[in-house]
Amino acid sequence: MMKRFERDAVVTALIDELDERGSWCGETHIQKAMFFLQEMTETDLGFEFILYKHGPFSFDLRDELTAMRADLLLELELRKPGYGPSLRPTKNARAMVERYGETVDRARSDIQFVAAHAGDLHVTELERLGTALYVTRRKKPDEPPEIQAEEIVRLKPHISPEQARDALETIRSWQRELPSA
Amino acid sequence: MKTFHEIRDPIHTFIRVHSDERRVLDSRPVQRLRHIHQLAMTFLVYPGATHKRFEHSLGVMELATRIFDTITHEENVRHDRIRDLIPSKDELSYWRRVLRMAALCHDIGHLPFSHAAEDDLLPDGWDHERITAALVGSDEMRKIWRGQRPQLEIEDIVKLAVGPKKLADAEFTDWETILAEIVVGDAFGADRIDYLIRDAHHSGVAYGSFDHHRLIDTLRILPQETRESAEPALGIEEGGLHSAEALLLARYFMYTQVYFHPVRRIYDRHLKDFLHQWTDGAGLPTDTERHLKLTDHETYAAILEAADDPKKAGHEPARRITERDHFKEVYRRTRSDVEKDPEAAELIGGALERKFGPESIRCDHYRGRGGAPDFPVLMPDGQIVSSIDQSDVLKTVPPVAVDFVFCAPEKRTRVSRWLKKHRERIVSRVEREEEPSS
Repeated sequence: MMKRFERDAVVTALIDELDERGSWCGETHIQKAMFFLQEMTETDLGFEFILYKHGPFSFDLRDELTAMRADLLLELELRKPGYGPSLRPTKNARAMVERYGETVDRARSDIQFVAAHAGDLHVTELERLGTALYVTRRKKPDEPPEIQAEEIVRLKPHISPEQARDALETIRSWQRELPSA
Repeated sequence: MKTFHEIRDPIHTFIRVHSDERRVLDSRPVQRLRHIHQLAMTFLVYPGATHKRFEHSLGVMELATRIFDTITHEENVRHDRIRDLIPSKDELSYWRRVLRMAALCHDIGHLPFSHAAEDDLLPDGWDHERITAALVGSDEMRKIWRGQRPQLEIEDIVKLAVGPKKLADAEFTDWETILAEIVVGDAFGADRIDYLIRDAHHSGVAYGSFDHHRLIDTLRILPQETRESAEPALGIEEGGLHSAEALLLARYFMYTQVYFHPVRRIYDRHLKDFLHQWTDGAGLPTDTERHLKLTDHETYAAILEAADDPKKAGHEPARRITERDHFKEVYRRTRSDVEKDPEAAELIGGALERKFGPESIRCDHYRGRGGAPDFPVLMPDGQIVSSIDQSDVLKTVPPVAVDFVFCAPEKRTRVSRWLKKHRERIVSRVEREEEPSS
């Protein structure tokens, strides 16, 4: 099992990669990216996800991000008046990435895959895609797309049936592009 | 016949309970909380901190009700999306009762001495919330829920008492999510508000006080436009922002001054060591009947017995508690150590264990939980903004972080001397193999 600070190094690498792709890097963006990373690739950091705020959500990851702030690895940063904060890695976090370089390198291509696909998406899109992935993996893995789309709408009534179908199609296309696919 | 009953309370003055609700209050699981200390063995450091989970549970019920009444009051609901979220009058009355009972029962799964014993003394997958859920659904409580008017659904009570964090398989609607936030939420949960004020009152530490009346008056269910999200959240009107800041500061001070006072922490550790030995490594029961029969009284009686008899299991940690011969602090985290290396405390704890033996050293690491204090704030002009953008205090109050290393009192001088000499080398990760010499 990965040590806590080893795991923090991978979280830092993910945030940095998201940032490079134009992500806001708020907690919701990091939550969804981590879900994609764990659910779609070989990289599993052991965060447990449930369907909650804006789709898949991990209380473990939320606690970990807070612990990283406590350990001076992450800072809150305001990027736009009125909007919520982004999380920015500190130089200490970068030192942690160096220390656990081998672990980070093993996850690097998976991180880049997730950042390339989810980095520039807004919260609403991330919520739709995250929920779609959650439904295809955990709720209705063996059901046809129509049933999966109905389930997405049932779970998140503000998502329209058309948006749900589009989200499922996007998830399928991501899966086809996976390096291991 | 009288249908409402008043209970005097040092924090909220009077707490009113309906006759139906009194059946829940009088049930064994809730009455057991009269014998569970709210702050474990903190009374060994702050003598006044002898209050119990029973009065705290009543306080959470009272505050949760006030929050519910505020956020559902029609004058406080200004957005159509939020209006659609709030159920009709009859349904609202049902949920108000569910919320009150969930708040009253939210702690019934607590083990003896509350959190102190929880982490290592329950089987994998068990925690006090799971025991709470089991007790709420027990035959004994089921009869009481069925006798309520309106009849209450167990699943609804469990959801609000335990919250989504501990109910991975349950689905929460937006409305249920808000209600669970009222009881156990990180930002404005009634649980948190009551324990901060009550613990401060009983421990005699003024830091925990803040204007919770103002805070509750300004709580609102708000859309989260700044997050481009369709999901509502519990937030506040701008006029309550200073009260929210005061809540966060109270929490920070209470954690650093009371909950993580080093002597309190080491007594928790001695208690945990005792329970391990007393239960012969089996841990504490999850079976509801055995759980109901085990309180702080039985546990403390066993500690006193073991402390007096060297042949009894758990004698050594029991003796340390009763004779106040606890391990002594030899290291605590500093900002400069963390800046050098966030793993500094682990390195120091590990080095001391290798040098002086694990039986002489106890390490204690804790990091604050929950997210950043980021919630929607309704401005006077109707705009909704992020709390962190609006408040420098909320942005800068650091999460709680604690690292202590303790040693057996008889070795304190040697350990301190050795650590003074080697601390810099250990934190700088210089040649670990050289540690044991000198």
